[in-house]
Formats: sequence, C-alpha cells, structure tokens
Amino acid sequence: MSPLIIILLLVIFLIPVFIYNNLIRKKNAVDNAFFSIDVVLKKRYDLIPQLVETVKGYMQHERGLLTSVTELRQKVMQDNLSANERVKLDNQINTVLQQIFVSFENYPQLKSSENFLRLQGAINETEEQLAASRRFYNAAVNDYHNAIETFPSSLIASAAGMGRKEYFNIPDSEKSASAININ
Amino acid sequence: MSSVNNFNLFYENELKHLLTPLEEDRKKIKKYGIAGFFFLGTAILLFIISAASHNSGTAVIAFILILSALILLIVFGNKKKSFAAGFKETIVRKIIHFIDPSLTYTPHLSISKTDYLNSGLFVEQPDRYSGDDYIEGTHEKTFFCFSELHTERKVSSGKSTHWETIFRGLFFIADFNKNFSGRTYVWSERNPQINFLTKLFSSFAWNLEKVRLESVEFEKRFIVYSSDQVEARYILTPSFMERIVRLQQLMGEGTSLSFVNTNIHVAVPIKDELFEPAIFSVNDYNRLGDFYNTINIVFDIIDELKLNQRLWNKE
Repeated sequence: MSPLIIILLLVIFLIPVFIYNNLIRKKNAVDNAFFSIDVVLKKRYDLIPQLVETVKGYMQHERGLLTSVTELRQKVMQDNLSANERVKLDNQINTVLQQIFVSFENYPQLKSSENFLRLQGAINETEEQLAASRRFYNAAVNDYHNAIETFPSSLIASAAGMGRKEYFNIPDSEKSASAININ
Repeated sequence: MSSVNNFNLFYENELKHLLTPLEEDRKKIKKYGIAGFFFLGTAILLFIISAASHNSGTAVIAFILILSALILLIVFGNKKKSFAAGFKETIVRKIIHFIDPSLTYTPHLSISKTDYLNSGLFVEQPDRYSGDDYIEGTHEKTFFCFSELHTERKVSSGKSTHWETIFRGLFFIADFNKNFSGRTYVWSERNPQINFLTKLFSSFAWNLEKVRLESVEFEKRFIVYSSDQVEARYILTPSFMERIVRLQQLMGEGTSLSFVNTNIHVAVPIKDELFEPAIFSVNDYNRLGDFYNTINIVFDIIDELKLNQRLWNKE
C-alpha cells in the first residue's frame, strides 16, 4: 500500500473522529451550562428561608404566599426528583416569589430594615445570575443545534442519536433583568 | 452637574476676565513661534541657494539663522509649556470645579501604566507611554478617575524608526456596581489592536472564551471575550448591552470597555490633545466649551451605564 493511500485512509478515518469529538464538546457545554443554572438555583433556594424570616413580621396579609414558598422549597430540595419535576417546582417557586416581590411595594417600612436591604441586594444578584445562566444555556444549546443540523456533522450526529435540546423560556421580566427595588 | 446654559453664564462671569491677560501672553509666545519658524524656513532656503551657487557667504548667514531659529524655538517651547501649565491651573481647574467642586485635578499625572495594562483593552506593551490631566472623584455613589493617555509602539524599518499610536484619548476607570471575579473584555470591532493574533491568544494563552450574545446590534459593534461565560452575561444584561451601544454611538466607534478587578474601564479614542490651550488661535468660548464637554463625557458614561444604580450587594 502506497503511503499516499495510507494518509488518505487516515484522513477519512480521522475526519469523523474530529467531528464527533466536536459534537461531544458542544453537548458537554450544554450540560455544563445546565449545571451552572443549578448552582444559582441552589443559591436562590438558600435565600428563601432568610427572606421568609426577614419579611414575615411585616407581611401579615401574605402569610399564605410565604408558607407556600417554604413548602415548595422543601420539595425542590429533595434529591430523588426528576429533571422535569424540578423544572415544574422551580417554575412554581418563580411565580410565588414574583408575587412576594410585587407585594414588597405595599410595605415601605421594609426599606428601613438593614437585613431586608442586604437580602434585597442578594436576591437581585441571584436573579440576574440566574438570568445570565439561562442565557448561557440557550447560547450553548444554539451552538449545539447548529452543529447537529449542519452538514457534514449532521450525518454523524444522527448516527450517534444526538437530538435537539429544549431551550429555556426566559420570561420577559428576566430579559430586562428584573430587579426588586422599593425605593 | 451644571447645564450648558449655566456654563454660558459661568464663562461670561468667571472665565472671560481671566482670559484677557492670558490672551496677551499667548500673543507674545506666538510671536516667538512665528519668528522661529520663519528663520528656520529662510535658513533652509539659503542653504539650498548656497549649495547651488557654491557661495560660502550665504551658507554662513544660513548657519547664523539656523542658530537663531533654534534659540527662538527653544524659548518658544519653554514659554508654551509654562503658559499651558498656568492655563490649566487657572482656567481648566476652574471649569472642572464648576462641574463638580469635589473633583481633584492633577495636570501632570495620568492613569498608571499598570492600570492601563491591567485593563486588557490594549494587549501590546507600549514602547512609549505618556499622559496628563488626571481627574478623580465620586459621582453620587461611583468612584471614578480618568486622564488623557497616549501610548505608542516603535516601528523600525531598516535604519529609520518611527512611532505609531496604539491609543490616544480618554481613559476612564470606575468602580462597577456589581461584584464579579473574572475578566470580561468588550473590544470594539473597529479596534485595529484586536486582530487575528489577539483572538488566538485570547483562547489559548489568556484562557478566555469568546462570548456570543443575543443582541445583533451589539454583536455587530463589539467582540466579547471572557474568562467566565455566565459572569459575562451577568455583567452584560440585555439592557446593559443596549446602553453600551448607545454609549458607543455617543463616543465614537473605537470605544472599548473591559471589566477587570471589580472595575469598569472605558477607552474613548480622541485625536486631539485634551485640555491643551491653543497658541496660534484664540482660546475662546468654543474652545473652553470643548473642555467642558470632554469632562462631561465621563458623567455621561456613568449616567448612561447607570453605574450609580446599586441594586446589588455592592456599596
């Protein structure tokens, strides 16, 4: 066998390997991005008890909301949840938290609480970090989709059974980086 | 901060009468300059004539003229320097304090080379680094400082060497309103420093990753590299990206930003020297108005980027 043919065969063999590795890197990037969301979500869950503790003295009419957010947090912290269940619970937490944030406006006296202001800063920080992680996840998914749907990597992707991944729906309020501010 | 109308009044009441004696000085200095350049021109002409006609008498006169021109131009240079220093002390300082009395102004200082290099906005080591007109202060909650900078590289081709500008303009550093620990660079697409090599280095040597963002307008104008994909997006929220685009429209296409060491750095290229008095033309309302506008650029940056909005846990 002439050296030229050996090189040619090597190239033919190596190209799919390169493409496959590239696809795997992109798939891993999506997983990493998902993990970065998880990290911020944990941070957010840690803030919930502090939030409830700080505001319960002021928010007499929203006791129900505070109780339900505490219960949802306990549920979401369990280890044996599937990804779908977690997303569902997280969405519920999101809704309740938004309601709590909105009702802060009815309690201007919260502004004088040092604890609350510090917490407010921490919550804003986590909310924006969450928005950032979700945007990063979507960017990684977009990159991955481009790789699995364009020729020739699409051939390898379909052979390896790599399918599309879901985008995160980023609520409008998050797009504009909603921050709680009762000033 | 004071409005343009207020500046009008301020100029009429506080600056105009100070300009009159300075104007006298300027005219005197200008004469040295004109005489020096005239002598120099005549001497060169006489040298050419003497070389063509082999007349040694003309060459001697030319030589004397060259010496006189040199002396005149040295005197001109020194007088110009002390005039500029006096002008800055009386006029520029007054304008700066009119804008905000708490600002400190040090005409002979500049942003340090370390800060310039740490900003990562210009990746190459400059061979010549100069700057002046350092101003620092606090606008509401935001500490900031800025100065004029001029950085150059030495280019040698054969025996001749010349200097090329890397950056010339206003260099601004301010305390950013969010906590971050990584490095994020928002380089202008029009920045000639950001070439293929920079991009290559960014990925391999500097451990940076390219950050692709959703805003089409932003992506057209800037190229973003960061050490942390999530943090880059935490800093560059959709609304912040819009503000950066507006800022660039306001300041010019070469404007670049970086987020390093909890600070925001902004480099605004400006061709002219800042806060230097004119010698061959009048220092009038328009010229001083330019100085006033330049200082206000900094307040515009802080306001436009809402750096005073402290909704996060950073005081």
